[in-house]
Amino acid sequence: MNKITLFFLQLIFFIVVAPFLSGLITKIKNSLRMRKGQSIFQPYYNLIKLFSKIQVVSETASWIFRVTPFILISSTLTVALLVPVFIFSNPLYRMGDFIAIIFIFALGRFFLALAALDTGSSFGGMGSSREMFIASLVEPALCLVVFSVFLQFGSTNLSVFSGMHAVSVSSLVGASALFLVVIAETSRVPVDNQETHLELTMVHEAMALEYSGASLALIELAAQVKQMIWFFLIAQIIFPITTLSLVNLKGLFSWGLWYLARILIIVITMAIVEVSVAKMRLFRVADFLGFAFVLGIIASICAILGA
Amino acid sequence: MDCPEVISSIKKSLPDFSALAVSQHYPDEIFIKVSPEAFKDTSMVLHKILPSPVMMLFAVDERKLTGVFTLNAVFVNLKQRQWIILNMDIPQENPYFDSLAKSIHSAAIFEREIQEMFGIQPKGNPDLRRMNLHDEVWPQGNFPLRNDFKGMVNGNLSEYKFNRVEGGGIFEVPVGPVHAGIIGPGHFRFSVAGEPIVNLELRLGFAHRGVEKLFEGKTCFDALRLSECICGDSAFAYSVAFATAAEKISGISIPQKAAYLRGIYLELERMYNHVSDIGGIALDVGFSFPAAYASVIKETILQLNEKLTASRYLKNVNVIGGVSGDIDDAKKLILFDALKKIKKDFNALVKMLNSSVSFMDRVDTTGVLIKKTAQDLGVVGLVARASGIPTDLRKYFPGVYSQAKFKMMTQEAGDVLSRLELRFSEFVESCRLIEEFTIKLSGSRDMQVNSVLKQESALGYVEGARGPVLCWLKTDAHGVIARCKLVDPSSHNWQGLSYAVLGNIIPDFPVCNKSFNLSYSGNDL
Repeated sequence: MNKITLFFLQLIFFIVVAPFLSGLITKIKNSLRMRKGQSIFQPYYNLIKLFSKIQVVSETASWIFRVTPFILISSTLTVALLVPVFIFSNPLYRMGDFIAIIFIFALGRFFLALAALDTGSSFGGMGSSREMFIASLVEPALCLVVFSVFLQFGSTNLSVFSGMHAVSVSSLVGASALFLVVIAETSRVPVDNQETHLELTMVHEAMALEYSGASLALIELAAQVKQMIWFFLIAQIIFPITTLSLVNLKGLFSWGLWYLARILIIVITMAIVEVSVAKMRLFRVADFLGFAFVLGIIASICAILGA
Repeated sequence: MDCPEVISSIKKSLPDFSALAVSQHYPDEIFIKVSPEAFKDTSMVLHKILPSPVMMLFAVDERKLTGVFTLNAVFVNLKQRQWIILNMDIPQENPYFDSLAKSIHSAAIFEREIQEMFGIQPKGNPDLRRMNLHDEVWPQGNFPLRNDFKGMVNGNLSEYKFNRVEGGGIFEVPVGPVHAGIIGPGHFRFSVAGEPIVNLELRLGFAHRGVEKLFEGKTCFDALRLSECICGDSAFAYSVAFATAAEKISGISIPQKAAYLRGIYLELERMYNHVSDIGGIALDVGFSFPAAYASVIKETILQLNEKLTASRYLKNVNVIGGVSGDIDDAKKLILFDALKKIKKDFNALVKMLNSSVSFMDRVDTTGVLIKKTAQDLGVVGLVARASGIPTDLRKYFPGVYSQAKFKMMTQEAGDVLSRLELRFSEFVESCRLIEEFTIKLSGSRDMQVNSVLKQESALGYVEGARGPVLCWLKTDAHGVIARCKLVDPSSHNWQGLSYAVLGNIIPDFPVCNKSFNLSYSGNDL
């Protein structure tokens, strides 16, 4: 397969599958809550609806507000190209690693926070300040997970370490830390709550509150793609997949099954976590992400000790 | 306590007190008429010796008959199980009275209401901004509750002025009146320093429908249906408050069976409200599973209501003189079965919430309304009981509740957890009360209904899910309603909310608000 085909294949894969994962989590949550709930495909319907709607832009908004959805979606899709999905190299091989991912995400976050301030709505300001507060706690924890990976595999390039299949104590602990971080990154309970209608409690949603139409669709899609990227990264660390053998069909089938199952495990875990705890008081998030930070340290120590 | 006793206890604190008239038409109501000069002092004495907040303060337009407005202040004497109505005349030229607001906080909102609705000046009240007649819609000089009001007269509009907190790092966050959820309209103006709330100002009145005016000119029978529509989740409590007032005027005493039936329906109403609030509290802290569980219990109760009365929200059940929806033996079985299931589910819900650390962390010590503040503000009902004030009309004016050995519940801390736990225990008590009442149901519920054809006034009251629902009714010589003043517990308690949230962070406001669960429609009238 040549590079260009792979490049487009992976982009389309992320854009098409990401809303499904969101819909799946919502569906599982609703079943757990004894509800019928919306269709698994509702996120697609929402995106189609939003893309066909007229945008309303505040008169006081500057270019930052207009340009942010594009920066957000393009930065997120760039990260999507750094993650190895089909084979053990990503389409932009050697161009980026785990640390690059953290900073490319930070770019999108920075612009979204600016855009939320741009319209001058009080909710946007609240959302931005909370998002930055949470981000300042997320990033150190993430960096420690990256260190533990580096210490273990000698590289932070995802294409390099995802080919190595070894489940160690270090990667288990590191993946747990990553899971906590992902809860915060995907604005889920107990850090944030995607489902809430209460403007005063929102974090990510508050920043997107002023957006409508296609811009909102891009922001939602970016959030869904980002979530899928994180799920793939956790899966890569905690369930390293063996080399694909194309020898027989049976092997291919079981490989594919396991490939999907590990994502499903993360999705189900996420849904169960979301319905079984209450959202934390805002300043308790520091304790929660502090815990992720400590897990990151433990993962690094384990990696040094070779465990 | 009879009339002379009240007078003598007032005289102890106010030696030169003299009443213009004292009367007692009903065993639970004492009417004292005083001169305008003595009104303020007497109110303050009653406020102190009873002790009671100003439960109601309202004006009545009697210019057609006597050429004056009258002003009535209603106090409650819980120990003696009586209501004391203090009355004075206000001349129609340049109408004013001495404001109580600076000494008795609970009078403040009523005075603002009197000023906007009747154009009677409360002299000395520092805050005379209009509440229900918004300056952006109603020009000055319109006084809709005066009898000669014919419709809005156009004039200059102005704008409402919010109190401002100024200083470095203080931001204002305006929220509402349109909210994201399906709730009533209210505007909240937060002043925040970072996340903590420094000041909260409420602006309500968006749901003002002129309810009190609508009552005027109706017969009591027509108005009963109207009373059910004032506040949808307290439909039965309102109809009982109204019906009791009408029954007192017509001299009807309802049959024992009807009294029990009213007790059952009142408790059912309390149960669905309480469980809905419990679910709401869980939902507002993002705890979705128990919230879903609570909504299942609420639905079970609503369906039970429908089976018993053909109305999920207990409308069209009450009549003046009794209750139309009977509970026969077959329905008793349905009721007991449903209660059994409800109790089982409710226990599971309580267990789920109590055992969740993440949930308890959110509600414990959040939104504290301390007892002193609650007393000073004149907070009533469930919110007052959660702050350690023993006040429950079911205990002090028991009626059938005495037969069921009603036990009043209170909590001390005044935080969200206290209000939640109070709802837990009241729900369980309501279950028990319904069982007791149902067992005692017997005899006939035949009622005698005289049409009301005399000029009289009476106070109807009942403990609804949020607290005391009060209805003061006055009929004219043809038995038609001349004035109906309603007071929802929410109008006392909204102030409590704005004090309870101080120092809490903004994201905790929704859960504080939900733990009070105050009514917009009951407040705005």
